[in-house]
Amino acid sequence: MNNGEGRRLAGQAEEEDDEDDVDECGLEAWERAYADERSWESLQEDESGMLRSIDNKALYHAQYRRRLRSLASSNAASRIQKGLIRYLCIVIDLSRAASETDFRPSRMAVVAKNVEAFIREFFDQNPLSQIGLVTIKDGVANCLTDLGGSPESHIKALMGKLECSGDSSLQNALDLVCGYLEQIPSYGHREVLILNSALSTCDPGDIMETIQKCKKSKVRCSVIGLSAEIFICKHICQETGGLYSVAVDESHFKELILEHAPPPPAIAEFAIANLIKMGFPQRAAENVISICLCHKEARGGGYTCPRCKARVCELPTECRICGLTLVSSPHLARSYHHLFPIAPFDEVTPVRLSSSQHKLPKSCFGCQQSLLNPGNRPSLSVECPRCKQFFCIDCDIYIHESLHNCPGCESFRHFKTVSSSEE
Amino acid sequence: MKFEIEDVTVYFPYDNIYPEQYSYMVELKRALDARGHCLLEMPTGTGKTIALLSLITSYVLSKPQSPLKLVYCTRTVHEMEKTLAELKKLHDYQVKHLGPAARILAVGLSSRKNLCVNPRVLSAENRDSVDAGCRKLTASWVRALAEKNPSVPTCEFFEDYERAGSGAVLPPGVYTLQDLRAFGKQKGWCPYYLARHMVQLANVIVYSYQYLLDPKVAGIISKEMQRECVVVFDEAHNIDNVCIEALSVCVRRQTLEGATRNLHRMEQEIDRFKATDESRLRAEYQRLVEGLALRGDLRVNDTWLANPALPDDILKEAVPGNIRRADFFLRVLRRFVQYLKGRLETENVEKESPVAFVASVTNQAGIDQKTLKFCYDRLHSLMMTLEITDTDEFLHIQTICDFATLVGTYARGFSIIIEPFDERMPDVQDPVLQLSCHDASLAIKPVFDRFQTVVITSGTLSPIDLYPRLLNFNPVVSRSFTMSLTRDCICPMVLTRGSDQLPVSTKFDMRSDLGVVRNYGRLLLEMVCVVPDGIVCFFVSYSYMDEIVNSWNESGILKEIMQHKLVFIETQDVVETTLALDNYRRACDCGRGAVFFSVARGKVAEGIDFDRHYGRLVIMFGVPFQYTLSKILLARLEYLRDTFQIKEGDFLTFDALRQAAQCVGRVIRSKADYGMMIFADKRYSRHDKRSKLPGWILSHLRDAHLNLSTDMAVYIAREFLRKMAQPYDKAGSGGKKTLLSQEDIEKMGDGSLNDMLY
Repeated sequence: MNNGEGRRLAGQAEEEDDEDDVDECGLEAWERAYADERSWESLQEDESGMLRSIDNKALYHAQYRRRLRSLASSNAASRIQKGLIRYLCIVIDLSRAASETDFRPSRMAVVAKNVEAFIREFFDQNPLSQIGLVTIKDGVANCLTDLGGSPESHIKALMGKLECSGDSSLQNALDLVCGYLEQIPSYGHREVLILNSALSTCDPGDIMETIQKCKKSKVRCSVIGLSAEIFICKHICQETGGLYSVAVDESHFKELILEHAPPPPAIAEFAIANLIKMGFPQRAAENVISICLCHKEARGGGYTCPRCKARVCELPTECRICGLTLVSSPHLARSYHHLFPIAPFDEVTPVRLSSSQHKLPKSCFGCQQSLLNPGNRPSLSVECPRCKQFFCIDCDIYIHESLHNCPGCESFRHFKTVSSSEE
Repeated sequence: MKFEIEDVTVYFPYDNIYPEQYSYMVELKRALDARGHCLLEMPTGTGKTIALLSLITSYVLSKPQSPLKLVYCTRTVHEMEKTLAELKKLHDYQVKHLGPAARILAVGLSSRKNLCVNPRVLSAENRDSVDAGCRKLTASWVRALAEKNPSVPTCEFFEDYERAGSGAVLPPGVYTLQDLRAFGKQKGWCPYYLARHMVQLANVIVYSYQYLLDPKVAGIISKEMQRECVVVFDEAHNIDNVCIEALSVCVRRQTLEGATRNLHRMEQEIDRFKATDESRLRAEYQRLVEGLALRGDLRVNDTWLANPALPDDILKEAVPGNIRRADFFLRVLRRFVQYLKGRLETENVEKESPVAFVASVTNQAGIDQKTLKFCYDRLHSLMMTLEITDTDEFLHIQTICDFATLVGTYARGFSIIIEPFDERMPDVQDPVLQLSCHDASLAIKPVFDRFQTVVITSGTLSPIDLYPRLLNFNPVVSRSFTMSLTRDCICPMVLTRGSDQLPVSTKFDMRSDLGVVRNYGRLLLEMVCVVPDGIVCFFVSYSYMDEIVNSWNESGILKEIMQHKLVFIETQDVVETTLALDNYRRACDCGRGAVFFSVARGKVAEGIDFDRHYGRLVIMFGVPFQYTLSKILLARLEYLRDTFQIKEGDFLTFDALRQAAQCVGRVIRSKADYGMMIFADKRYSRHDKRSKLPGWILSHLRDAHLNLSTDMAVYIAREFLRKMAQPYDKAGSGGKKTLLSQEDIEKMGDGSLNDMLY
């Protein structure tokens, strides 16, 4: 039970009273980190008794597969409707607690850095969506940027405002955000992502009422905590259908925040099909100079609204004159894959791979690298359930996370159409 | 689910069972088979209650030839209700599987205050007045009077119950107090008397400790139980104290003054009777001549009955001649009260054995030991005869008679201590005469002797070998179980130093050291910054808490703490504490965060749960030793040493550590929960102290956490809280299973299960 007990028993008997200064377990901080992780315990032996080094790659892959599976299982009912047009408010807690240095250099800096990455990733995955930034400081919530579709302007505003003080107030933040999000059209999905450093919230009134208000106006609130699980945050997320997670370290935090980039399943009440009027403006030639409506400056390039002929600099946006939603067709196309995700690949058991009764390919269909480790032992590999092609782990991750198309299926479809036209 | 343990089919109302519950049942079954007593320790939050209930009821079901009765004792009404609710679930499950044959009758029994449905009686504020209010309406002479004169008020519920006679029974089923009240209201029967009647017939009875341990109450309620009973004492870590309190009496000046008043009134009553109805007094005299054992002809329903802790001779012998006459008895009592008054005048602390005390009573007041012994019964007989209904008014004289009887009966295991003032306030004259019982086994002995199996169980019974010695019995099974967890959800730490590396302790010579006070303050302040929601702090005593909070206030630490969390303090006032607790919970709910300052051995430490976010961290400031200069404690220690060969130090440490374990155990109430425990005193790192903590805490106390300073503890807390906030797999991962399904149990024999657990 307590394996140190025997050892201590001997020493303890005589030092009845003066044991104060004995510093038996005074581990230094660096030692402790090793003692806690116990990395030696994950060493494995292979069949011949030799130590096998820890296979980080396999570990990562296992993690990734787990995530993929959980994603797939939540999408189990084949076609889940997803909100592609999202209006997301990111609430950044800049209260006293954000200056703590358990994340290096400080929580605040880590949050800012990862929010930047998140904003880019978010617009990459959701070209039709918009983001707004809100900060909490001194118990007051301030709007940093209005809802908008330009990553650069958000990042610029965020980086300029990094100082923290005072208490945090979730209620004020939710009230403010709720006020913004209530105005957006009904086809848009209202979301709040709170990055919470503080462990307490000083509210002017009853936060439960505010939570009910959010729930009623269908705002989905998610919270990522930086220090520990807080009851009220969990409650907010449960009530409004959001995700609650707490970051262990910086890389975990990044992982958690990026989980919010792909669109969440649509809230049931919104799941009515709705037609939205959109404009697809043409890009003007670089040398045609005209005054744009967003910056009120004369510049080249930009896009012209097909309805009122006004000029805007960036897409997607809303036309300032006629209020038409302006997008480009690649934006729509990029959003498309969320609706038709490729099925997770099946893992191929090493036994099957090594058994040679059916002829199995020895190389990855994607990158053409050999699927066998040096020494002819099979490494981990996966198989697409549709086209039955084999892929290595790296390609698996690449296909699911970035490509969103299975090379095997695509080439076979291509092959089929070609062959059928030849006949 | 349904599974076999040896020859018993156990019906368990849930789909899965924890492995420790299973082995708990196995041990319990062995004790039942052996018809002996047992002692079982299992951590809170692992479902002790349901394991107990389902095994015992299933055992009864599988052996219809030997009907066992289950008597389940709880400490509080709240626990009683929880137990009955579990039982209800279990009962439904069993009936579903076995059909109506499995029907049992289970009742909860509580005081009139909790069961009465008569609005006129219920309006009284405390328990004693409700009791008296009830007697005023239901005593036999009142009812007899009412028959002649309809304007005398009676209780319609009781009347209806009486009229229904033997037809007034509960149909089989499980009745919580709520159900009993509802049933009583619907039928118009008095739920209290109905429940008391049904105790004789029920298969399962749930009631409070007092009904078995306190000789005064036990005589009324539990006297007719058969030997084939399984008696369970739940949360029994303090059972020795309950036993001792049941037999200890404390007499103050107010008591004696009240007793004099009571005597005066009784004298008036006697005079009145003499004038109007002397025959009644004469009848009583006759009865007493014939002996107390024949009091069967005392009116049956006005149960003032025998005291099981008293030796048999008192029941068989006739009452001594000198107190048979009512006015003589009063004179004896008056002399006794006068004598006690004289003793209270003393200037010094006095300590005497019962034998010496009785001798001096005989000398100075002329009352011999035998007379003293009969006081209790004689008084009740007299009160019956005088038709006194407002019994709450006569508590003082009852106390005096209790005292007299106990002193007259027991020559060993008690001592009489007279203190002219409280030692903490030597200026205030407040003389107290205490008859303190030192031997917990006296009160519980009749229970062990009378019943086939007595189960003593709690979350903290360590060290488990001490209880049999304290209570003087031989358990056939005594086992301590650990908790199987899917993750390390408790994190005990021993903090020995502040950030400045100076030791911290509440040792007497160190406790008011400014450095220690400041280090304790810094500890709390740092923890407040890293722990979310609720934190509970336990101090060793009220006075120490006052002192330390004052000095934190002066040094500004308290203000800094308040920036992070609100601070609430337990006081000796129950209403204030309830209010503080209520607000504490609200502060935790709304995310503001709060700290609760409480006292080990206080009401909060014993009965209030700080589960989930209401207690993420509990800090035990110091080791909660008893006040070692107390005369009573010293006398008890001496007795324990002489009689049971338990060393003073051992007992004190045992007692302090069980209190500490009890305090920190408040934060964990289920396996899904998590919490940290900080033992902030350098003495905890010593082996003799630490090893007395219960196994389930020790098994999580890693060597690296045994000698921490504040900064290291903060670091560990941070890491722990982050780890616990991650989602986890309930069923347990890897080779260690923490939830067993029916197949799992069928698959493994007993042997393999034990291998897996230990």
